[in-house]
Amino acid sequence: MTPAEDNIIVAARGLGRRVATAAGPLEILSGIDLEINAAESVAIVGVSGSGKSTLLGLLAGLDLPSSGEVWLAGQRLNDLDEDGRARVRGQLTGFVFQSFQLLESLTALENVMLPLELSGSPGARQQARELLARVGLEARLGHYPRQLSGGEQQRVAIARAFSMQPAILFADEPTGNLDTDTGAHIIDLLFELNREHATTLILVTHDDRIAARCGRAIRLDGGRIQGAQSQ
Amino acid sequence: MTAARWRLALRLLMRDWRAGEQRILLAALVIAIAATTAISYFTDRLASGMLNSSAEFLGADLALVSSRRVDADWLDPARERDLGIAETLEFASVVLHGEQLQLASIKAVDASFPLRGSMRTSQAIYAGDSATAGVPQPGEAWAAPRLMQALGLSAGDLVEVGDTRLMISRVLTFEPGQMRDVFGVAPRLLMNMADVPATGVVQPGSRLSWQYLFAGSAAAISQYRQWVEGRLQAGQELLGVREGRRALGTALERAERFLGLAVLAAIVLAGVAVAMAVRRYTERHFDMSAMLRCLGATQGDILVIFLLQLLLIGLLAGITGCLLGWLAQWGLVILLADLLPAVSATTGLWPMLPGLATGLIILAGFALPPLMRLREVPPLRVLRRDLVPLPARSWLVYGAAMLAVVALMWRYTQNWPLTLAVLAGSVAAVLVLGLVGFVLLALGRRLNGRVGAAWRFGLNNLWRNRQSSVSQVLAFGLTLMAMAMIALVRSDLLTTWQNQLPDNAPNHFAVNILPHEVEAMRDFLDVRGVPATKIYPMVRGRLVSINAVAVREAVTKEERSNNALNRELNLTWAGRLPADNAIVDGLWWLPGDAGRALVSVESRLADRLGIRTGDVLGFTVGSEEITAEVASLRAVQWDSFRPNFYMVFPPGGVLETLPATYITSFYLPSGDKQLLVDMVRQFPAVTVLELDLIMAEVGRIFRQVTLAVEYVLLFVLLAGFAVLFAALQNSLDQRLHEGALLRALGASRRQLRAGHLAEYTALGVIAGLVAAMGTECLAWLLYREVMHLDYSFKWPVWIAAPLLGALLVGCAGYWGTRPVLQQTPLTLLRER
Repeated sequence: MTPAEDNIIVAARGLGRRVATAAGPLEILSGIDLEINAAESVAIVGVSGSGKSTLLGLLAGLDLPSSGEVWLAGQRLNDLDEDGRARVRGQLTGFVFQSFQLLESLTALENVMLPLELSGSPGARQQARELLARVGLEARLGHYPRQLSGGEQQRVAIARAFSMQPAILFADEPTGNLDTDTGAHIIDLLFELNREHATTLILVTHDDRIAARCGRAIRLDGGRIQGAQSQ
Repeated sequence: MTAARWRLALRLLMRDWRAGEQRILLAALVIAIAATTAISYFTDRLASGMLNSSAEFLGADLALVSSRRVDADWLDPARERDLGIAETLEFASVVLHGEQLQLASIKAVDASFPLRGSMRTSQAIYAGDSATAGVPQPGEAWAAPRLMQALGLSAGDLVEVGDTRLMISRVLTFEPGQMRDVFGVAPRLLMNMADVPATGVVQPGSRLSWQYLFAGSAAAISQYRQWVEGRLQAGQELLGVREGRRALGTALERAERFLGLAVLAAIVLAGVAVAMAVRRYTERHFDMSAMLRCLGATQGDILVIFLLQLLLIGLLAGITGCLLGWLAQWGLVILLADLLPAVSATTGLWPMLPGLATGLIILAGFALPPLMRLREVPPLRVLRRDLVPLPARSWLVYGAAMLAVVALMWRYTQNWPLTLAVLAGSVAAVLVLGLVGFVLLALGRRLNGRVGAAWRFGLNNLWRNRQSSVSQVLAFGLTLMAMAMIALVRSDLLTTWQNQLPDNAPNHFAVNILPHEVEAMRDFLDVRGVPATKIYPMVRGRLVSINAVAVREAVTKEERSNNALNRELNLTWAGRLPADNAIVDGLWWLPGDAGRALVSVESRLADRLGIRTGDVLGFTVGSEEITAEVASLRAVQWDSFRPNFYMVFPPGGVLETLPATYITSFYLPSGDKQLLVDMVRQFPAVTVLELDLIMAEVGRIFRQVTLAVEYVLLFVLLAGFAVLFAALQNSLDQRLHEGALLRALGASRRQLRAGHLAEYTALGVIAGLVAAMGTECLAWLLYREVMHLDYSFKWPVWIAAPLLGALLVGCAGYWGTRPVLQQTPLTLLRER
């Protein structure tokens, strides 16, 4: 398979990430090869410090690899400068984070409107309203993040992530800051929306139950893939 | 794309605004812009009041000023050209009302005055004034409000001027042609030219200023101007609309510079507050920047979005600041009302430009460098919160700020050496006082073991944030220092100076004594037992050459504007060296030197003009030209209040053949003014200068000017508060967290409150101590080196400045830290 082949939306070849530390260079990731098909759901699992978030950052084009290549929808990210990668992110990706990453000074509605406004798409307010209604927050539009519970904040973040109809959704420990019940509801919501929008979902988690709901899991250990498991 | 960015920037700004993020940034900008605008409006108001209608201001299109009456044939060419002509005469004389007397600047006018513009008068003092046609009728006079007050006059009263009596018929509030007396000391009395001979005041040798005013077509004026220019002699000067403008321009420029430099302090402090506020703003927007990048915004987009926000804040601050500045200038106008001539009311919008420009310069110099970091926020920050962009390069931050300060300074000084000198002085002062502040903070921390918990908490806090503490100490220290200096100068300096004069130092001058009155005057004073100095002759002449080189070419460029060159000097002759003079070079003449062409020159003037013994000086006295060799240089003690002269000649010379008047000074206990009344009645031509009144008058002007400066200092103080609140904002998150933690550990609100109060009170006290130290040094320099006065330790400053500092800063800090008290310990649990 080549990365350009139809249906493969995310691909990595020989991906590695090194950082300089006081004790010399440290390999956070090395020799990562993977391909992910459109509309697939993939969990990246592993213990703390195994390089899960680093891999997510590289695949999403938030960071550059020290070695190897990344393709997103046939675009080789290595060929793009930071602004080029930003445009690819804007067109293709959505994000959900463990710490929600809502902007404190914006209301729930405004947080969801932000990506729409950034792309200059008309009707941002209406779309954002509908999305928030879809995640069950129609009564909370004017609330600020600090007035919302953790679960509500994550629902706002999910609405924001889907506002641009992304081809790929990256989620970094989306339930890490939530209690079990709330986390389960959030995961249900995430998978529902994923199905509705036929989005590719790449999800970092250390929770095997969540990983089990994904199409497959990639297990990282010490910065290397332990062998893919399909379910 | 751009429109979308604008909309987004605007929306983000509005959303941030609700969160109160930019209030300090905005406030600091508003302070700087308002201060600049106020000064700019004030000077423009002055300028437009006086310059917009320069011709009206001059009262003519062209004025010939002469110390002598000009020959009638000088006016014929003007008549031939159909020019309007008016003749005025100005002189100083004492005006009496009953037993009250006041030195007045008297102006006698003929019926055609003024040729341009009009006078304004009122029926009674403080009654509404209106434009008035005509001039005082013979036998009548119009008096300025200050003269009315000084003599307790009301319309219809009679006053004596020399030998004649005039009835006050109106109060004179404005008169064209007053330009040379804008800051003049003696109040005006306007009378009819026809009454002048009857006063007996005008005698050969009297100090007079004739003004011949001309008005007509531009061509005729220009022709006549050419005709006169070739014939001008020493003591004569042509003033056109242009020259009037220039003379006035210089005065205005000085006023603008003076107030401008005070405003500059406010601007720089505001800049520091802006830099602090923008740093916090930047740091609080790392997440937004990372998120926007994550959502597809390019680095360029980020910069555009935040720059637009900054510009919008600048615009808002500009509008608010300009409005406040416009309001604030009224304060200055009111404070200086007595000193300024009637000021025109209408001013346009353009004085707002400097304010807006200042806002932009501050944004570019102080706000832009920290803001640039937002562009550098790595998008990966969304996954790793610890990722922050590199701190802004310090050379960029300080370089940009310095550049902005230099640009602003130059605007006010318009002079590179001065700009650099002020800059170097300020940098040195900031470094030294900053170091002092730092040492005091460190000492404060040393007190740790010996003070209560609240003080320990406060002093520790100051030390922990020492960088921002030092900048706050500087901000308030410099402000308090400026206030202390002004208070000192206003209250202490003048009294110290007066107290150091010998008890019976002469306090009155009698000038314009005519040659035939000298003996009678001596008897007058002797009979009454008044201690008086010798009576010196005085001839008015002009220094025109040094060693046969025209004096303007002979001296350095800086000295060309020296007053001694531009006006007539009082020349005298004497056989004996005056008592308080000392020869510093050469020799005083011997009796045998009488009649020789020698001159003794005052040493400081000689120094500045580069005159040495042996040089040959040329003078014009009336139409005579005389030359004399410099025989000696004399040190003169000017504040002895004895008659003193720049140029003294030996007796028996050509000077004695020229018309002279005589001068003496004498001591009169205050209250014994009856003697003056008798003197003026017996010698109508004599002008008595009452130094105590002049001192009081100078003091009054001084107080008004210092009041105006203090008013401007209010802006500096406000800017200091902006720095305080910006620093407080920057540490607020940490404070909130600590406050909650301390509450969780059992601290009461009262304890927290005491801690904050202690912290800011300590900050204020330290700023006060820094101010006292700076004041002490600066005052020592001023007293010893500039005024040559004895200096005593200014202990009240050491009490007042720390107290005021503690009060101001303590209250502001207490108020600013209120949110910390309202924090419940619960927030600790909510924090992520």
